[in-house]
Amino acid sequence: MHEGSITIRLPANLCEIEELNRLVRQFGELHGIPSRTLYAMNLALDEIFTNVVLHGFADATGQEIVVRLETLAQELQSEVVDGGREFDPRSAPLPELTAALGERTLGGLGIHLVRSLMDGVDYRREKAKNVLTMRKRIR
Amino acid sequence: MQIKEDKQGDTTIVTVTEHLDSATSSVFESRLLGLVDRGERQIVVDCGALDYVNSAGLKVFLLAAKRLEPLGGKLVLCALAPSVLMIFEMIGFTRIMKIVASREDAMRVLRGDGAAA
Repeated sequence: MHEGSITIRLPANLCEIEELNRLVRQFGELHGIPSRTLYAMNLALDEIFTNVVLHGFADATGQEIVVRLETLAQELQSEVVDGGREFDPRSAPLPELTAALGERTLGGLGIHLVRSLMDGVDYRREKAKNVLTMRKRIR
Repeated sequence: MQIKEDKQGDTTIVTVTEHLDSATSSVFESRLLGLVDRGERQIVVDCGALDYVNSAGLKVFLLAAKRLEPLGGKLVLCALAPSVLMIFEMIGFTRIMKIVASREDAMRVLRGDGAAA
């Protein structure tokens, strides 16, 4: 794996997810990131991006989300920055994974996936922006 | 994403391919729930050519299964790629949905042939 980083700035719009996924995959291929690691990060970023677009703003028009990806020694790290309303994914309630079908609700699935797929999720609020950091070990 | 429908007896087989994500899930949702609404009660979703699903896509499967259950219907998913199956496991759907290896197994489950269960 080669060390490097990329910063991707995208309009806060669901139709940009395809572009995000494409750039993440391309970064992964260029840097020799194992496909399982890349798949997990791609999905986690997709979930976070989707969440910000759908819930971060009263009106997402003209808003931007900045995604930074970086390879470190044995780790793929990402940072997502948005100017939407304050949201710490670590505080989101867990879906009831053991509930019967009739009792399962639709909320929280994406955030649960993020927490399950990543080895580390950190959050801070900085200058009226959400700064989310996710880490995935490479093995 | 592409969606194909194929009717075999009382069973509707839906094939969904490529990416099921936030951009495409609403189309899949209206197709799948549309089947339930027009009276289909035995639905197989063939995921053999599905290589990516996010939570928006997962919600569609949950919605369809939840809608079918009180109607006495059945939703069976088949041929999930390992990376997709991992996501279903992670979110606890392998406990509440019928997921089998192949389309043939899915048809056997719907025929009530215990050997496939």
